[in-house]
Amino acid sequence: MKRFRDPQWFLILMFLGIIGSVPLIQMVVEVRQEEGVRVFEVFHQKPTAANLRTYERSLEAANWAARASRPWIQFAQFEWLKDGGAKAAIGNEGWYFYKPGLGYLLARPERAKVASTTQDPLPAIVDFRNQLAARGIRLVVMPAPNKESVYPDRLTPRAEALHGVLAPRTQDLLDRLRAANVEVVDLFKGFSQARQAAGSASQASLYLAQDTHWSPAGVELAAKLAAGHLLELGWVRPGLVDYRGRPAPIERLGDVLRMLQVPAIERRVKPETVACVQVVRRDNGELYQEAADAEILVLGDSFMRIYQRDEPGVAGFIAYLAKELKQPVMSLVSDGGGSTLVRQELQGRPAFLKNKKVVLWEFVERDIGLGLEGWKLVLLPPPVIPNSPGRVTDPAALRQPTAPPKAN
Amino acid sequence: MVFTTQIFVFYFLPVFLLVYYNLPCGWRNVWITLASYVFYGWWEPWFTGLMLFTTVMDFLWGKVITRPGATPLQRKLAVLACVVTNLSFLGFFKYYMFAAGTLNQILAAVGARQFQVLQVTLPIGISFYTFHSLTYILDLYRGHATPAKSFSGFSAFVALFPDLVAGPIIRYKTLAEQLREREHTVPRFAAGVAIFIAGFAKKILLANPCGLVADSVFNAAGPCALDAWIGVVAYTFQIYFDFCGYSDMAVGLGRMLGFEFLKNFDAPYWSESITELWRRWHISLSSVLRDYLYIALGGNRKGEGRTYFNLAVVMLLGGLWHGAKWNFVVWGAFHGLLLAAERWRGKLSFYGALPRPGRIGLTFLLVLFSWVLFRADNLTLAVEYYQAMFGLGPTGNTAPLLAATIYTPYHLLILTVCTGLVFQPWQAHDWAMSPVTWGRTAVLVPLFVLSIMAMFAQDFNPFLYFQF
Repeated sequence: MKRFRDPQWFLILMFLGIIGSVPLIQMVVEVRQEEGVRVFEVFHQKPTAANLRTYERSLEAANWAARASRPWIQFAQFEWLKDGGAKAAIGNEGWYFYKPGLGYLLARPERAKVASTTQDPLPAIVDFRNQLAARGIRLVVMPAPNKESVYPDRLTPRAEALHGVLAPRTQDLLDRLRAANVEVVDLFKGFSQARQAAGSASQASLYLAQDTHWSPAGVELAAKLAAGHLLELGWVRPGLVDYRGRPAPIERLGDVLRMLQVPAIERRVKPETVACVQVVRRDNGELYQEAADAEILVLGDSFMRIYQRDEPGVAGFIAYLAKELKQPVMSLVSDGGGSTLVRQELQGRPAFLKNKKVVLWEFVERDIGLGLEGWKLVLLPPPVIPNSPGRVTDPAALRQPTAPPKAN
Repeated sequence: MVFTTQIFVFYFLPVFLLVYYNLPCGWRNVWITLASYVFYGWWEPWFTGLMLFTTVMDFLWGKVITRPGATPLQRKLAVLACVVTNLSFLGFFKYYMFAAGTLNQILAAVGARQFQVLQVTLPIGISFYTFHSLTYILDLYRGHATPAKSFSGFSAFVALFPDLVAGPIIRYKTLAEQLREREHTVPRFAAGVAIFIAGFAKKILLANPCGLVADSVFNAAGPCALDAWIGVVAYTFQIYFDFCGYSDMAVGLGRMLGFEFLKNFDAPYWSESITELWRRWHISLSSVLRDYLYIALGGNRKGEGRTYFNLAVVMLLGGLWHGAKWNFVVWGAFHGLLLAAERWRGKLSFYGALPRPGRIGLTFLLVLFSWVLFRADNLTLAVEYYQAMFGLGPTGNTAPLLAATIYTPYHLLILTVCTGLVFQPWQAHDWAMSPVTWGRTAVLVPLFVLSIMAMFAQDFNPFLYFQF
């Protein structure tokens, strides 16, 4: 106890106590949870740089002290210093933005030039288009605009004159896609026009205030634009099924806030009321259902999932597209995996391509620069040629010749 | 491993200290070496092989240089061979891609065929440990140091984890005696804890948030003039608190192990001239460059013209030491030019007649300009950034959004605190190194807790000097 009366000893003991107690308590916690003591896992694997990084990340993620204190620090920063950390940017009037999306919008275009091949979307898109063409299926791509691109004016009053901004990398990709004869549903133009036409006050927002995703109004507009594009191309004809809407409002705490993982913030912010509308058959009032033999396959990420598979269900883009086209469609959705993962899923489930005439491939705009797993080439299983059961044809022979992609 | 990570603070350091203080004194250097190899190999295990190879090589060269009966010519050849070998390693790993890339650009300009450039990974901290080894060899050759008696002592000196990857650059002659015998006392350990906490807080609470602002602006397309100025001010604070914080942590860890390292920063932004700045910034590098390069070139002993030339060469090479890019060369040339000009005026700045705040302000402004070269990815982007600072570049329509991300109350608070800390002569290092009192303890313990909690909440935690 004498030592505690000396400030030097006190400082040393406090320091050693802090750095020593955290791992000791962690070990006790892990022993009690019968998970095995994580810190010793380093001896069970080859000491490669990758293994060491994974090990370090797992220690950090499991740390009880970090888990207990992080929410408080983040709450203090959020509440008192108006800082949303690495995930969130705080806008006006209850609007929140996803910081990596904002970073994508603000980044100088030169940064894109250093990207490796798997970070450039164009080769993967063109290759996918060619593989589908070999099966007689057409591809239409639909980048879903980041919220930051459509509502920059909700981030700061200084941007009130901006009703839509196109990020340099997005513009570059759209130009190169058109040059490579890839069909694109241009939601950027459509959303911007809708915002300008409606003025700033009266129109229902196309995006949710607390979320990275679009609102039911945004879903409806996107579906209208996509359906209009497909019909205009003549690749799809309107079907015969008549659908109508049925209101199904929900309350939703936005994903930007949930990503912070700070319960105090989640308790403090009121969830948004979202005026969802489910799609039902006009004849019997049944909820819309997908059909395996549909002519259209929709691939996408969480923009396809929201309201469709999330609550209230059957009120998302896919149902609305079906309503606009008057026919059911088929879908394959991978959360956050619009760039590569969804195609990898399709690779493992080739039955999804049966009877298809058109694939509509949606990915969120920020994936152009930040896509999970990058933009890998994914080889679909070889198509089976009709009238020649069991005969597999070399896909390379079926691939359509295209102009080489522009150098990135 | 990085000092401001959980793996270091909660696992490496406690285990290291526990074992260190339970070992007999004779085994402590061996333990330092082993632990330092783990610390270093944490990034990439094969890096340790390279460090071990150069350590063995330099130890043996040291034996050759100090061999009884060696003629001056033999000693000269041995030191030359050692310097060339060390610099060859450094040159290959750090400058090969830069040199090959530049050559390819020249070939392309004259229409000749370019060659494939080998992708070389830069081993972290190679510049620092190469300099450590070179000071050993050169001090032996000059007779300023005696050869290491044991390999364990020498390898502990080269690998010593506190200063291994980002300095301060410690000379063998400074540490030789301490490697043989050093005191482990409560006041020294407590001072080490205090200075470690001060450095840790600088890095976590100040450098990292400033880095977020700097990165946002430097990566943005078309920032407006005000944002560009704020961006470079933020970087100016980031690099100082990052590097100074790391040096403080290194000094603190050294003290915990009984070593005395000199301070590496002394209120550099409080300088009244560029000459004074270089006496206060990265002091260990400045003194190594002065003693082993400037003086070797003749210093100021060979006439006025040669002095200016020597200054310029030292700063150019100093710039290149920081990184294999033309930005760093131009940055070194900029400082070399200013130093030569001040030397010409009798070590007085051109604005020496101004009152003190003006002299400090203008020196800061010159440093701030030079940091643009340091931070920009290449010279073209540096020029664009200068244009943006003076409103000569195109301002993107996203400029208001950039402003919204950087002028948050959090960032403004941090920038204000940084301004208050750098524009005064009082240094956290000196404060922490003075005897630990209850008052200091009452500040240091909560500061450490707050810094650790902030570390838990941060995703952005780079160390700028690792690349150098």
